[in-house]
Amino acid sequence: MGNEISRRKFLQVGTGIAGAAAAATGAHAAVHPPGWRGDQRVEQIATNCEMCFWRCGVMAEVADGKVVKLQGNPHHPLTKGKLCARGNAGVALLYDPDRLKYPQIRTGDRGEGKFKRVSWDEALDFLASRLKELKQKYGPESVALFPHGVHSGFFATLMRAYGTPNSAEPAFAQCRGPRDIGYQLTFGRPVNSPEPVDLEESKCMVLIGSHIGENVFTSQVTAFADGLAKGAKLIVVDPRMSTAASKAHFWLPIKPGTDTALLLAWMNVLVGEKLYDKEFLDQYAMGFKELEAHVQGFTPEWAEPITEIPAARIRETAHAMADARPAVAIHPGRHVTWYGNDTQRARAMAILTALLGAYGRKGGIFLPSKLKQGRIPLPPMPESERGRADREPGLYPLASEEAYGLTQGLIETTLSGNPYPIKSWIVYGQNIFESIPVRQKTLEAIKKIEFMAVVDVLPTEQTRYADLVLPEATYLERYDPPAIVTTHKRPFVAIRQPAIEPLYESKPGWWIAKKAAEKLGLSDYFPWTDPDDHLRRLIAPLNVNEQELKALGAVSFEGKPYIEDRSEDDGPLFPTQSGKIELVSTVLRDFQIDALPKYEAVEQPPAGFVRLIYGRAPVHSFSRSENNAWLDDLMPENPVWLSTEAARRFGVSDGQKVILENQDGVKSPVITVKVTLAMRSDVAYTVHGFGPQSPGLRKAYQHGFSDTALMTRIAIDPLMGATGMRVNFVRVLAAEKA
Amino acid sequence: MARYAMVIDQERCVGCQSCTVACKSEWDVPIGGARTRVRPAGVRGIYPNFTSTFLVSQCNHCDKPTCVQACPTGATYQDANGIVRINKQLCIGCGSCVSACPYGARYINGDKGVADKCDFCAARVERGLEPACVNTCPAKAKIFGSLEDSNSAVFNLVYHGGAQRIETSDVNIGPNVYYLAKPEQMELAAAAFPPIPPQTIAAGRVWSGLVKKVVFLAVGATFLGQAVAFFRQLNVGEKQFED
Repeated sequence: MGNEISRRKFLQVGTGIAGAAAAATGAHAAVHPPGWRGDQRVEQIATNCEMCFWRCGVMAEVADGKVVKLQGNPHHPLTKGKLCARGNAGVALLYDPDRLKYPQIRTGDRGEGKFKRVSWDEALDFLASRLKELKQKYGPESVALFPHGVHSGFFATLMRAYGTPNSAEPAFAQCRGPRDIGYQLTFGRPVNSPEPVDLEESKCMVLIGSHIGENVFTSQVTAFADGLAKGAKLIVVDPRMSTAASKAHFWLPIKPGTDTALLLAWMNVLVGEKLYDKEFLDQYAMGFKELEAHVQGFTPEWAEPITEIPAARIRETAHAMADARPAVAIHPGRHVTWYGNDTQRARAMAILTALLGAYGRKGGIFLPSKLKQGRIPLPPMPESERGRADREPGLYPLASEEAYGLTQGLIETTLSGNPYPIKSWIVYGQNIFESIPVRQKTLEAIKKIEFMAVVDVLPTEQTRYADLVLPEATYLERYDPPAIVTTHKRPFVAIRQPAIEPLYESKPGWWIAKKAAEKLGLSDYFPWTDPDDHLRRLIAPLNVNEQELKALGAVSFEGKPYIEDRSEDDGPLFPTQSGKIELVSTVLRDFQIDALPKYEAVEQPPAGFVRLIYGRAPVHSFSRSENNAWLDDLMPENPVWLSTEAARRFGVSDGQKVILENQDGVKSPVITVKVTLAMRSDVAYTVHGFGPQSPGLRKAYQHGFSDTALMTRIAIDPLMGATGMRVNFVRVLAAEKA
Repeated sequence: MARYAMVIDQERCVGCQSCTVACKSEWDVPIGGARTRVRPAGVRGIYPNFTSTFLVSQCNHCDKPTCVQACPTGATYQDANGIVRINKQLCIGCGSCVSACPYGARYINGDKGVADKCDFCAARVERGLEPACVNTCPAKAKIFGSLEDSNSAVFNLVYHGGAQRIETSDVNIGPNVYYLAKPEQMELAAAAFPPIPPQTIAAGRVWSGLVKKVVFLAVGATFLGQAVAFFRQLNVGEKQFED
């Protein structure tokens, strides 16, 4: 099969979800039921959260036109009334005094932060006239969109209608991309979000770099705690003793960058000792013989010096998985852009899952169910003859064609002008300085563009470089498209509806995009009249009662999560090229890429340096929440964690003020050291997203440091273009010496 | 009559502080204050075998509450159901109760000039709702109920499930927040945050004795309202949160 067919087929599968909706369940209720907050009578408005992308169900409690409290929504099938610290702190985002309050046009230099206040009419006229001018001068492809989140669809439609194919979310090349590609290659569908990991039914949970607990997706934490309480064994692979690792039966403090060696050694034990699920593989998988031959040499003894995990420990944990199969939940992870070989690591995790018979099985990875989403017919989108600008044709063969793209690729193109010039950036819902590594390039590229518009809620650093700043309403003040979620055991639809009217002159994203389309003569692409009309069209095939949906916030349906629930009518179990689980990937083989994952050594820190790794804290969402007064109160900065041994080597102690310097001489501001016994000595760890450089964020301005700013190097995954970011090294200097 | 207690399952807790923020939101707890807190209790062991845990702490609604004894105005009192409460009308914000609590569960609310602490969300409980922290906890690590109800989860955990109090030979006033944890975690948490005998800390606040005398005088002279207002004002900090 030729590469182009292979590629097209690969990119098609896993997206065509269609089917009949099951009957809706749930009682009818009054639209906005009353509740109590302390002694206060409140109205409850069901919506979903956007403090992160998990979109937990929320009941916004409103009194006298103000949101006074957010509760978990007990009717929400995913999160069942639970809400994390950030979700609870949404009130402090809504009433953040630093919010962007009205549209602004830049009057000073880029980055200077000088603006004049304008009306929405002026702002949208300005946007439309600049976009028309750019189209005439350079063609519509010269405008690139940097969106994020499912609600960015309105802007995606706007920009595609305008005529540009250039759009890139960090969700792909800086986060989930390698995982979704790796699992799609193996099982025929990406992992998706929320991850369908059956933790609560698992008898053995395996976390490879995932730090549930510090990374809080509420329903995942609930399932994790339930799984543990029911007696599941827990294996955590992490250079640092995370909260999850502290609860583990087996904590494997692996040498960073060697995970694939461990995965291959586990496979070696399962295959060599015939502990795999033979019946499952015989029925559903192809390529076992080749896999068997491939892993023969990868013994635990081979892996021990590479991973620095004792061979006996590797065997013991392989046995723990085998004992629990098929109820083994190997979490596919989420942010997996680590070393530039991440798709192959994801492949190894997927293959291990298959060996244990843990896909489509209770306690493993469960299957997505079907829900038919309504479609809004639009006029044909203009075709671009110039194609995407974020990569050379043929480079990164498995990079996603449609929804995502390569953010760093768009930045490179802005700098180089090849294959054609990018002259304008539209930013919606992402923070380009903190999400995309190699900040220096982003800054240089900004100098080259002629027009930059940023739609944001807060005056983030990127707004200071924009020619036009448009203030978006927060998630509590706006309608967004409903979440139609299939990767839950009960698939569901959940809505976001405004709890109160937008404050100040902020406007919802849908309004901004629709109005901009009007100014650009593209109204035909926004044929719905208002949010209710939009919602109705999208939920039409689901057969749900709209009033009930608005009252309860979510309606769920019968699902078919396990293989035994499926019949032939439900479509192929494994929509790969072969129709089987591909232990050996036929797509990769067609591309003449390693069809079975190999271990490749990654560069080690030079003498006197440690590897900078990063993760999350339960009270912050990346770079979004640092200015939230309630969350800042709990965690105002991100210390750098060092092991006792590493601290001794650098001559620093717990609580001391230090500066980090990376391999390229880039320095952090003065930050605090946290010394711990329970971490490897070849890493420094911190929480991602701190150190905002915008004085407009008065609460969080320069609190902590930006790990992204120290990422001056990346390692690009040759399969799909993701930027591995754990390839930067730092040394620690006492602040007074530096 | 109910007798309320809470069990915190340290094995389920992931230290995410959802409880802290839900409580802050429910009760307008100001920046810097907390009615319930989650603190890491540290790490013990030899690489790579360690014990670590969090300690979730809040008012223990003790059987013999030292804060009630310490309160000069009678603002702090205990309901028959065991909940220790503060009558904000009577509180002068003198801080005697803050010093008297061995568990550090109280703070002075700078916005209002009064003492504040967990009251098991009494207003919610009266309406049949769970306390806000229990309601929100993603790990379902907080279990609330009555020790008089033999069908309740807390009854079973306290009397048959090995839930333990954090007490010492010096401080045994019957806390009604219990913990489920491995013995080594329990030891770690108790060592990191031991209850402090009240007399040790109370000595720090020289002026609280003076306040008591003045308040008693004021009460005697039926100037209670003015006295309360006066002393409360002393404690009102700058309002930190604008809306």
